[in-house]
Amino acid sequence: MASRDTVLKVTNLSKSYGPTTIVDNFNLEVREGEAVALTGRNGAGKSTVLRCLVGADRPTEGSVEVLGVKMSETNPEIRRNVATVIDDLDFFPDLSVVEHLDLLARAHGLDEADQLVDEVLEEVQLVPQSGQLPGTLSSGQRRRLALATAFVRPRRLLVLDEPEQRLDVEGVKWLGARLRAEKEKGLAIVMASHEPALVEALGCRIVELGGPRG
Amino acid sequence: MSRPGKKSRRQPQQRAPQPEPQVVPAEVQPAWGDVPEPVLVLHQDVNQLHGHEVDERQLQLLVKDWRRGRATRNIWQALGDAYVALFSFAVIAAMLISSIARAQALAAECSTEGCTTARGLLPWAMLAGVLGLTLAAARVFGPVLASAAEGFWLMDAPLQRSKMLARRLWAIIVAALVIGALVGALTAALTGGSLMAVGAWALGTGLAAAGITAFAAAEQGAERIWLVRILQAVISLVGLVVLLAVVATASGWISLTVTDALAVELGFAVAGVGLLLCIGAGLIARARLSQIRRARLQSGGSLVAGMQGAMFAMDFGLMRDILVEREAVARGHVRPTRGRSTGLASLIWRDVQRLFRYPRPLVLYFASMVVPYAVQALGLGRLTVPISALVLMAALVPFFTTLRVLSRTRGLARTFPFSTSQLRTAASAVPAILAGIWGVAVTAAFVGVGGSSMLGNSPAQAAMWALITAFAGFLAGIRWVSAKSANYNTPMVATSMGAMPPGLMFNLIRGFDMVALMSLPAIVGWSPWISVVLGVIIFSFLRMGGIDQEELKAMQEENKRQAAEARASIRGEAPAKSTEKIKVTRTKREGTRR
Repeated sequence: MASRDTVLKVTNLSKSYGPTTIVDNFNLEVREGEAVALTGRNGAGKSTVLRCLVGADRPTEGSVEVLGVKMSETNPEIRRNVATVIDDLDFFPDLSVVEHLDLLARAHGLDEADQLVDEVLEEVQLVPQSGQLPGTLSSGQRRRLALATAFVRPRRLLVLDEPEQRLDVEGVKWLGARLRAEKEKGLAIVMASHEPALVEALGCRIVELGGPRG
Repeated sequence: MSRPGKKSRRQPQQRAPQPEPQVVPAEVQPAWGDVPEPVLVLHQDVNQLHGHEVDERQLQLLVKDWRRGRATRNIWQALGDAYVALFSFAVIAAMLISSIARAQALAAECSTEGCTTARGLLPWAMLAGVLGLTLAAARVFGPVLASAAEGFWLMDAPLQRSKMLARRLWAIIVAALVIGALVGALTAALTGGSLMAVGAWALGTGLAAAGITAFAAAEQGAERIWLVRILQAVISLVGLVVLLAVVATASGWISLTVTDALAVELGFAVAGVGLLLCIGAGLIARARLSQIRRARLQSGGSLVAGMQGAMFAMDFGLMRDILVEREAVARGHVRPTRGRSTGLASLIWRDVQRLFRYPRPLVLYFASMVVPYAVQALGLGRLTVPISALVLMAALVPFFTTLRVLSRTRGLARTFPFSTSQLRTAASAVPAILAGIWGVAVTAAFVGVGGSSMLGNSPAQAAMWALITAFAGFLAGIRWVSAKSANYNTPMVATSMGAMPPGLMFNLIRGFDMVALMSLPAIVGWSPWISVVLGVIIFSFLRMGGIDQEELKAMQEENKRQAAEARASIRGEAPAKSTEKIKVTRTKREGTRR
């Protein structure tokens, strides 16, 4: 494990909203092929930490580094390496499911986008919906599309906020298998989850926020 | 059902004596361990109760009474609170009247027969525009609609839906009449028409708009949409033909005679046709009110609710987003097309593919090319630059879908491996090309085809103004789609109307500000190069996504912290934290547990 590169390094991260401190002095290091699950009760600060990790929020104090580069949401280098599925993802209203994935793969410079997109579509079980516009998808299907956007592009770090949300039992099982396969290929994964089965399936290192459950 | 008076409303009403509820143990035994046995107390059979026939009118009055009873202030108090808004409205109205007077004076300077005829034709173009927009709005909203609450609580009740909706139908028709009349009067006044002509066109446009609204309502009752679509296309085409006729007449290519007297007669003729349509279609619509599906009524109501939310934030971009989303949902499915190229070029190609998939905005885009010619034909001189740029802005907005979505949704922008400026540049490429084509196509108008050059300069300079106008429209389009919404998380500004986020009022002028800046040199007679320099500076700002206040603040705090540390190290002290935080007490706090 020691020979593996550090992908994510969080040092003394604190985040406050006005007088309220949500996260205080949080430290984390994630290496290649390692999965970390942030757990804790509602409001413990899991999503806040994840938002800071991907640059969606700025930490009040402390620093976040990805592959040795200081986190900035707009840095193309970071955007190239970090795939995220957190709650602020939206879609183009006029592009179909398959067109979203195709555009993203091509934007990341993948020449053989067609085959990759087809495979990802099949895996997230959205082949029948490939021509549908996002506004007509169910919440579960939208979640699958959001997850698909993470698998259709190159990545070294995957950040997921409660990825099991709105997925059916089969979907959660698939997600566990997919993430485990990604981890074995060397992907670093950080996720917040309330699903013990998923955390267990992935063999995650568990980081509990806000103290242990009472 | 009788309408209760104020007293009876506010005092607890006497209830009819109710029989003592009998406790009847349920026969079904629970099978859930310790769950207590349910006790059923409802013993009356609702179907056996005597029901009165519902009087829809009384029901509506009752709802109205409830609403009034819950009002916390009357209309005069509300107006008193909003005096700043009213004062602003008065100032804007005064500016508008002044602009109309100036435009009239400018138009009057051109007294050739061509100019006069062109001015006489303009109310026709405006009539077509008003009718087209009225039909579009009627199709999107209903025109007859009901709120979600009305749909759920009232439409399901055993009452005559037509009686509930009749007043709403008439109110919509009257609203169309008033708005149409105002626009008609304004256009006739702007083109220098006599008082009689202004009155005739006000009546004509108003009644025609009312008639067309009644027609759309009648079609709504018949669950048809194709007739409305065809009529909308025909009216738009007529508008374009009239606009072309304005240009052709003023340029002397065709000869038409539209005197003021004829304009008055035609205005009254339109009013007559509009009135007939209004009465005929209105009666049919009234008869078909009961046939409108509840889902159709509610969909218009929910759209209005969404629009109101966006309106409170004065976010017109959001209003458009709601409409676009709704249209996408109605369409539901497309035939997927694979993209082309890789990297940033793939984004540009996707925008090109959009042009073929959604060609409708191209109609407005091509129609907007006529505007500079028409404005020149009307002799409005230097106003050609801002007027044409504003029209181009409106025409280009639908082509900025990628930019709009990426600026609104940070999460989606984060999935692309590009910097903000790269993304924005790629997302603006297709609209930039369209603006360039537009600039070349309208150069002849600025050079002065069919008349003198409107800016009184050399042909080369006039051509430059054409391109500057296109540039202004393009920049205004970027600004309109990508400007940040008012941020309600920042400290509010105290006003007499309550707390307001600082950027709220600027939402109103987004896009217009760019046009004003770029047109200023044309209006005051400065060199076009000033506009070019301004445009380049503005574009570089818009490309970066403006100034990131949060980033600046973070940098400022970082600098402060470093300075404090440096001072502490000079004094030989341990660096202290710059701010003391108030921490939330938790049962057991651990940063990281491994």
